[in-house]
Amino acid sequence: MKVTFKIWRQEGPEDKGAIRDYEVDGLTEDMSFLEALDHLNELLVLKNEKVIAYEYDCREGICGQCGVFINGRAHGPHDNMTTCQLHMRSFKDGDTIVVEPWRAASFSVIKDLIVDRSAFDRIIEQGAYITAKTGTAPEANAIPIPKEISDNAMDAAACIGCGACVATCKNSSAALFTAAKINHLNRLPQGKAEEHKRVQEMTYQMEIEGFGSCTFTGACEVECPEGISILNIAEMNARNAKAKLLG
Amino acid sequence: MALNPLFFRKTLVAGTGLFLCVFLVVHLSANCILLLPEDIARGMYNSYSTTLRESPLIKIVAYLLYLSIILHVVYALLITIRNRKAKPQKYVMNHANENSSWSSRNMGILGTLILIFIVIHLVNFWARIKLGFGDAVALDVDGNKDVYEVTYSLFHNIYYVIFYTIISVPLAFHLYHGFKSGFKTLGFYHKKGLKIIAKVSLVYALIMGIGFGIIPFIVYLK
Amino acid sequence: MKLDSKIPEGKLEDKWRNYQVTSQLINPANKKKLNVIVVGSGLSGAGAAATLAELGYDVQCFCYQDSARRAHSVAAQGGINAAKNYQHDGDSVWRMFYDTLKGGDFRSREANTYRLAELSAPLIDHYVQQGVPFAREYGGVLVNRSFGGVQVQRTFYARGQTGQQLLMAAYSQLYKMVRAKKVKMFPRSEMLDLVVIDGKAKGIIVRDLVTGELKRYAADAIVLATGGYSRVFRLSTLAIGCNGSALWKAHKKGALFAAPSFTQIHPTALPQSSEAQSKLTLMSESLRNDGRIWVPKQQQDARKANDIPEDERDYYLERRYPSFGNLAPRDIASRAAKERIDTGYGVGRLKNAVYLDFRHAIEKFGIQTIKDRYGNLFTMYKKITGIDAYREPMQISPAAHFSMGGLWVDYELMTTIPGLYAIGECNFSDHGANRLGANSLLQASIDGYFVLPNTINNYLASALKEDHPTTDHPEFEKAEKAVKADINRILNINGTKTVDHFHRELGKVMWQECAMSRNKKGLENAIAQIKTIRDEFWKDVKITGSSNELNTELEKALRLADFIELGILMCTDALERDESCGAHFREEFQTEDGEAVRVDEDYSYVSAWEYDDGDFKLHKEELEFEFVKPSVRSYK
Repeated sequence: MKVTFKIWRQEGPEDKGAIRDYEVDGLTEDMSFLEALDHLNELLVLKNEKVIAYEYDCREGICGQCGVFINGRAHGPHDNMTTCQLHMRSFKDGDTIVVEPWRAASFSVIKDLIVDRSAFDRIIEQGAYITAKTGTAPEANAIPIPKEISDNAMDAAACIGCGACVATCKNSSAALFTAAKINHLNRLPQGKAEEHKRVQEMTYQMEIEGFGSCTFTGACEVECPEGISILNIAEMNARNAKAKLLG
Repeated sequence: MALNPLFFRKTLVAGTGLFLCVFLVVHLSANCILLLPEDIARGMYNSYSTTLRESPLIKIVAYLLYLSIILHVVYALLITIRNRKAKPQKYVMNHANENSSWSSRNMGILGTLILIFIVIHLVNFWARIKLGFGDAVALDVDGNKDVYEVTYSLFHNIYYVIFYTIISVPLAFHLYHGFKSGFKTLGFYHKKGLKIIAKVSLVYALIMGIGFGIIPFIVYLK
Repeated sequence: MKLDSKIPEGKLEDKWRNYQVTSQLINPANKKKLNVIVVGSGLSGAGAAATLAELGYDVQCFCYQDSARRAHSVAAQGGINAAKNYQHDGDSVWRMFYDTLKGGDFRSREANTYRLAELSAPLIDHYVQQGVPFAREYGGVLVNRSFGGVQVQRTFYARGQTGQQLLMAAYSQLYKMVRAKKVKMFPRSEMLDLVVIDGKAKGIIVRDLVTGELKRYAADAIVLATGGYSRVFRLSTLAIGCNGSALWKAHKKGALFAAPSFTQIHPTALPQSSEAQSKLTLMSESLRNDGRIWVPKQQQDARKANDIPEDERDYYLERRYPSFGNLAPRDIASRAAKERIDTGYGVGRLKNAVYLDFRHAIEKFGIQTIKDRYGNLFTMYKKITGIDAYREPMQISPAAHFSMGGLWVDYELMTTIPGLYAIGECNFSDHGANRLGANSLLQASIDGYFVLPNTINNYLASALKEDHPTTDHPEFEKAEKAVKADINRILNINGTKTVDHFHRELGKVMWQECAMSRNKKGLENAIAQIKTIRDEFWKDVKITGSSNELNTELEKALRLADFIELGILMCTDALERDESCGAHFREEFQTEDGEAVRVDEDYSYVSAWEYDDGDFKLHKEELEFEFVKPSVRSYK
């Protein structure tokens, strides 16, 4: 299998960057997309060129570190999938594959396809936790949590923090990411004590990080590898309003 | 806790938007008078518009309306500017149509078209009738300003008819996305409820679009 | 060197309490003056960093990923064990302790294993408090399932994402302390050497992976929480970045490496499909509850699975282990698969897999039931292979999964270098020669949250009396220079082969000779081959780019250089142990029907290896079984 990659190359944050073309032969359908890039990198080394920088770690769709824009879609042509789960059988022999880094003011390019997503960590820092020290926990079954509530919390908690929502959103909004975390904790009894503080401080951080605001295009939930529903954002809005009124 | 400026802005745009949606229902109902036979329509239409101009209650509502339009536009603009800043570099290739609808991504453009329309619309009617710009408006037999005549003559200009009809298309798209997502922005997150709202939104946008679009044509053909 | 495991006095159930009441304390005002470095941000690292910070220590935490949330604990699917006995099925701390010890084929310490079981219950309380959405009954209480062949239900889980949910809790708690300014987090930072001053661990040399800059960090104690090293096989279920370098550097600086060859091979991963493959994805073990494993009876059978009639299929696990069948433990199922594949019965394009067939289960329970039970796994399988497993059998294959071995630690989790601790998968402590399913999240968490924060003060109390280390000490200078020299050396080779080429070569040798079954001749050959690979690597590797930029090839090369040396040690260890135990199966030590033969008289010890200028010296920690009598594992 032979394809032409058109890949964004950028030396560093200050560099302007541009798309460069690479024809790669000898690929197979069973290879994952990232393995095809690995293969290309080996060829580049042998040609005495610098390798393309891209991110990955677990390569099984859960760590959230991989993520590039492939042929105009976050994580490639399929819905609800990570880049590492994409395989070359999704392309045809002779295809051209355009690969770009996540684009957002808050995700600056570090090199080639690698962006800085530390803004997510700073949003988490502002309250995505239960303020309780190790060793202070009561018996686990002391507070019964109805299955439905627990399941709902899990639906939101499934977020892998890959940033596809921001990447695909035309406004680079981090609302889905932030909402998922807020709703995970605020839906549970453990999270109640800090619910108002949490929603206000985390959404405030989201704003000062320079993410745009949600206009409900719905792109995020289509690209989210965990299929996290956009209704989480509406719920966050309700929680925010409630916090403003009561908190 | 510091203010959440963006949260506040979004809420305002959604709130004013939904208020304007209600206004459009009233507006379209009134327009329906134009579909009646001319002899009935002229009197009804003119007396209706006189009531609108003179009732103190309606005046308050009118100011609220002006304010809503201004806030809706200003804050939508502020949000759009900020959103654009949040994505300074566009993708070389972007197949956004595979994950979202065109209208949802282009509310700004749709809104701008509607705003242009509103300005022209206000010049056509509000400025002439209320502010007295242009040719003086004649009185009808009941002594009311003959707004019907103003409308009737405007909609016998084919260019205006086409303009008014065409503009109803972006209006429908703007309303379709705006109506349903306005609820989400205001924090309504009931899953089944939102499904119903999405359907209502579609029906509402169709009625508004077709209604506002077709009436000038019908008047033209009268 | 005498290995002192520092096991406290008393009855098994009293040891941990006895330890706690006699260990030294540090008053809060003094804790502020002490700083601790934690390398790694997985369950053990993040748990330790957060808890130490809560206790008042100043903590610096390092990880090579872009965020602490990516650590490979995230990938554990199945669950976490705890002796809560919520199911009222006769579970207890003692039973859990015994299951773990027996599962490890009696090659771990009683006291450590008991503590693991003892602290499991409060750990679940902790995670629930931190907001982990564990599976629940309609009435709101926690659910358990059974796992890994034990006879009680003690596994807690959050869908198929238990590791992720636990890691999110630990990561959140960590960032709570980042906000409190008690933890400073250094992502995209890789430890490249340990600094030892006057025999004590006092700092690390770190490479900033973005700028390439080498940086020095000093601390009163260093905690390694760097996870497993099964990427030595190249193809494994581990994340691509997982490495053994921090361990290896510590080992070279004097920390003994215990049982390096004890590696768990997981039976249900997806097979390798091409030479370029980088990773073997794990499919949950739970599939074996309903799936039947088979290969064709005819060697090199070219027919499609569905074209092979029932009587020409060999359900080899059911044939060999009639009482456990498809649910035989991991090591046994993996070995049996390897045996079939090696003798020419393998299936798939590369003839390197066996079938896992749901046809009978679908016929029996209906497709909907199977969808309910495993729907997400079938979807994942389709995403990766493009095959619909409802229509044709899955192809699975064994893959390297977990390192039971690691740095030797005592009861306090301290290595043989004073002030250097190893927690989580990177130490050798609780699992012996084989780890039970759902015990890895447990051990990582217990080490980080509960054990280390209680033992580190015993050492730090004495550090209080000493001067704080500073990074201008000559030892820092020396270490940084050595790292720089290594980097320059590797960059200057400018050979003709890529890093991945050498990693593939190493992986092939390790997989062939030091994985599921091993023999003397093979291991000796392997050592020779790896030495050749090492020499070739240092002569012929090619890396482009420089050291003062983000350079993924350089990162890979530095990790591989350490893997190569670690591979030699693993083979050396496997060669030394003339017995079969747990995951370590020496072909010379088996019964007539292919079962493992353990040799307790000679090998009831933990092998702990000392680095000796390219060579390795064996030390033994004899295992004393005071409270239980080692028995023979049989799954017939």
